[in-house]
Amino acid sequence: MKQKEYIMHLLAEVSNYVLEAMPSRMVISLHQESDGLHLAVIDNNERPEDELESMRTALNSASRPEMAEYYGSMGGTDLVGHARLSLIGWQIKHADVTRRDKGTKIDLWLGSDRFDSRQFNIPSEEKL
Amino acid sequence: MGLSILVLLFLGIAQDGFQSSVQGFIRIQSHPGRLINDFTLVGGTGGAFFNAAVMTILSLFLVRSSGIRISGPTLAATFTIMGFALFGKTPTNALPIVFGVVLAAKLAGKPFKNYILFALFGTALGPVVSFFIAEIGLGGFSGFVAGYGVGTVVGFFLPAVGIVMLRMHEGYNLYNIGLTAGFLGLFVAGVFRASNMNVDIEVLWNREPTLAHQLLVPLFSVLFLLGGIIRSPNKILINQKKILKSSGRLPSDFVDSATVAGALVNMGLLGLVASGYMALVGADFNGPTLGGLLTLFGFGAFGKHLRNTLPIFAGVVVATLLFGKSLVAPGPILAFLFATTLAPLAGEFGPLIGFAAGFVHLVMVEQSAAWHGGVDLYNNGFAGGLTATLFVAVIQWVKANKS
Repeated sequence: MKQKEYIMHLLAEVSNYVLEAMPSRMVISLHQESDGLHLAVIDNNERPEDELESMRTALNSASRPEMAEYYGSMGGTDLVGHARLSLIGWQIKHADVTRRDKGTKIDLWLGSDRFDSRQFNIPSEEKL
Repeated sequence: MGLSILVLLFLGIAQDGFQSSVQGFIRIQSHPGRLINDFTLVGGTGGAFFNAAVMTILSLFLVRSSGIRISGPTLAATFTIMGFALFGKTPTNALPIVFGVVLAAKLAGKPFKNYILFALFGTALGPVVSFFIAEIGLGGFSGFVAGYGVGTVVGFFLPAVGIVMLRMHEGYNLYNIGLTAGFLGLFVAGVFRASNMNVDIEVLWNREPTLAHQLLVPLFSVLFLLGGIIRSPNKILINQKKILKSSGRLPSDFVDSATVAGALVNMGLLGLVASGYMALVGADFNGPTLGGLLTLFGFGAFGKHLRNTLPIFAGVVVATLLFGKSLVAPGPILAFLFATTLAPLAGEFGPLIGFAAGFVHLVMVEQSAAWHGGVDLYNNGFAGGLTATLFVAVIQWVKANKS
């Protein structure tokens, strides 16, 4: 899948998930480097801790190449049924799900093994 | 899985003897594979079971050598292959399909393991290969070359088409490659018909199944049920609750969500319920119906459970009776077993939608085999995919326009 299509597909599934809770605010941030990228989706919906935990689990599922290539292609294309973060969890390197003041921040990290998220200039939680 | 293969071989050889089983296996390799050819008649019980065991071993080898772990989808694929090797799949006709998928992976610059599910389920198109080898009189080497060439081409298209088909029904048809293979089969059968080749459906159906046929799936079910209980005796109910909560929509891997033990118990339960129904109505336990039972059994690890399959069963039974058909005739009994491809509709939208889907499925599946000339062994997956797409489209339209 080409980079642009890949990003759109990830964004669509995460946005689908976030919008199911009907937030009044949603911010999407993208930062690309040569061998990796960071996507952040922030909303103003306060979620209970167990939901945050299940989001973390779904987004950080073990590598399943046979599932990612086939069923992962459904990510971002669903019109019926609930959004499923596990569809993109198989395809990314790492995800962070954190509680913000009054909302949730989802960070998706993608890239090769050389990719180092610390080199990115996304402000840390303390500086925000 | 190893135990299942041993049981299969033991029952087959106990029935027909080793030599006769091997001879039957060889006979099956050059027999047409299009729907419906019951291999228990072509090669005897021993030959058919031997063919199923060889196909299962080859599938497991493919999974293991790709570095993919045995999980819900691989269990479903392996038992589906085992089942369909009793009425259509052979190592001879499966090989070029797999090779076509390998080529597609190479062209896409991806490792084969990424496409392994396309290759495993894609062997549904094996009859295309057998058509050249055994049906059109090309014979010998020419038949093999033509069959392997065309088989490789259709295998090559499977990943590209499969992904698009999946998006069409959004994961509500568990046999997505059935829809994919049926779609490709329309083109293949179109070319065959344009070349004045006969692709009429003929039914070879064993009406005198042996004890080995009747014992196979109940034996598997009890073994898996006990295996699951022994593995995790204190969590049977918790695991079953987790599974029953799932809609079953693709991809629902019960090995991941409810542990191996939970998946084994679920497979066992489904196998016993479906075998029980077949015994109750007096249906034939032959190659095709065992194929249905084994597929249902395998998908007990990947999307099917009692809550989402019972409404589908009910829909098929009511449609069968309403249209004055026999519950044990080939079409209705196969529809009963395979219509559970629509289980996610019942799981997500409730039993009424599931019942309606089962009802519509029976009507569709009785027509659809003729469209692709029986070259798609997962004809129920094809009809199920069309049914699921219809339901998803209507549900989406209602959802989008509801005030």
